[in-house]
Amino acid sequence: MPGASDHSAARAIVIEFKNVGKTYRSLLGNSVKAVEEFSLVVAKGEILGIAGPNGAGKTTLIAMMLGYLRPTAGTVEIDGLSARHYVERNGIGYLSELVAIPPKWRAYTALVRYATLAGIPDGEIHQRVGYVIELLGLSEHRDKKVKALSKGNLQRLGLAQALLRDEKILVLDEPTHGLDPVWTQRFRDIVDGLRRPDRTILIASHNLDELQRLADRVAIIDRGRLQRLVSTGYEHAAPAMTRFRIAVARGHELVRAALPQAEEAGRDEFNVTVHSIQELNSTLANLIAQGVLVASVVPEHSVLEQQFREAVGESS
Amino acid sequence: MISLAKYSLWQFRDFVLERGIAIVLIGSLWGYVMFEPLRRAMGPQWTGDQTSPVWGVALQVASAVVSLSVLIAVNGIVSGDRKAGYYRFLFSKPINPVIYYAQLFVVYMVGVLVAMLILSGLLRTIFPAFSVRNFLLYAGLIYVAMGGIGFFLSVATRYDWLTLAVVWLGSRILRSVYGSRNDWRSKAVELLPPVHKLDEMANSLIGRGSADTSDAVWLVGYGLVFFVLGLVILRRGSLAD
Repeated sequence: MPGASDHSAARAIVIEFKNVGKTYRSLLGNSVKAVEEFSLVVAKGEILGIAGPNGAGKTTLIAMMLGYLRPTAGTVEIDGLSARHYVERNGIGYLSELVAIPPKWRAYTALVRYATLAGIPDGEIHQRVGYVIELLGLSEHRDKKVKALSKGNLQRLGLAQALLRDEKILVLDEPTHGLDPVWTQRFRDIVDGLRRPDRTILIASHNLDELQRLADRVAIIDRGRLQRLVSTGYEHAAPAMTRFRIAVARGHELVRAALPQAEEAGRDEFNVTVHSIQELNSTLANLIAQGVLVASVVPEHSVLEQQFREAVGESS
Repeated sequence: MISLAKYSLWQFRDFVLERGIAIVLIGSLWGYVMFEPLRRAMGPQWTGDQTSPVWGVALQVASAVVSLSVLIAVNGIVSGDRKAGYYRFLFSKPINPVIYYAQLFVVYMVGVLVAMLILSGLLRTIFPAFSVRNFLLYAGLIYVAMGGIGFFLSVATRYDWLTLAVVWLGSRILRSVYGSRNDWRSKAVELLPPVHKLDEMANSLIGRGSADTSDAVWLVGYGLVFFVLGLVILRRGSLAD
């Protein structure tokens, strides 16, 4: 598993899944394996992404991590404690995929209630609630009932309750689900701001671009199994064969002459296949030396997308 | 623990808005519809004490209102949060679900008693001999007996209201059919909830202010055993499905 040993060796382990399995059994005796032989360690300070197709087992894994579900095999430990024990003792900042808050509660009082349960001292509750309301842009919705909130505002309220306390562990399941592009970007900035050496963040998402930007590593899951553990940093990128789209502002003819194998992908755009980052750089250097003015270079698929396609493709 | 204790005020507020007002309205309407026409018809003959011909009916209505109130109070007490998914945000906070729901059960008991206090105050306007103290004792006892079973069913199933009604009515029917026989079935029905003791308990406790101790212990003990069993399942089971 690339990346797995680097992180556990370099930093203290906070979360550990040890051969975890979850099988659902019906009263009629039918069984469905949601998670199988899943082992993974997450280090302190790490942002770990969890990616996988629908029904891959992401939400089941998270439910076991919060102690809402008991594994049928293996253990989930956080800071050396059983998951449920850890949560009951310390709490976890958690945003679930489905934001479920009683519809009659008002946004502000919902946060006051959660803050009370979170153990925030009375004197700090309103200050803290005010802070997350401001952070998540909910000021104009603070007195609205939950049922009157739009999907995006409800999602922001869900995120607000997860950020009420200064948690050491944050678990965000599909956090940008229902957010508009402005708030999706805002969310990324917020998560970037939450990055801290003593805070571990797990983000489950379908959005690979989001994980590529935010996470240090991404666990790719399919059919309840860990298929790959991918480091998102480009220093680890060693694509066997990657396609890049190169746009040029000047020197269209020069590109065609220098790279006869490149496919024309539109006006002033070419698709180029390279076997390494080094080859990409030497190709670009050669073009620039010949007088080509490069406007942009974009991989057709990110490293993560490529790995995801391979991992999920392999397993299906 | 301290945060949970503070949260009990929110739990009480939820009870009042979602259940308490409904209980008081239903109880008041029931009493009004039952007794106001009788009072008008009887005119000056209406006394409202133990010698009144409607005194027995008043005790039965009071008993039925308590049973219905407990049913309303414990309906979905645990299963509601699980069905709607509210448990996810609640129990990501540093609190123990077992203590949370045990506290909720107690808070709802206080809520039921407050509702019964209001209703018994109303009832006293037409039955001056009606004892508020005895009625509250009865309501507390039935809350533990019936509510304990309801709590257990709310932990164990998603359809607790229906299941509790079936268990309650089923026990009454099975006891009346098999209770007097002298075979294994009469012994088996002894394990069912002691619903047959309710009428007797209502007459003795609300009416006279005294009750057979063994009956009271049996009722309360039965409810407490199921309440504790519900807590054990909550501790050992999963919150999510």
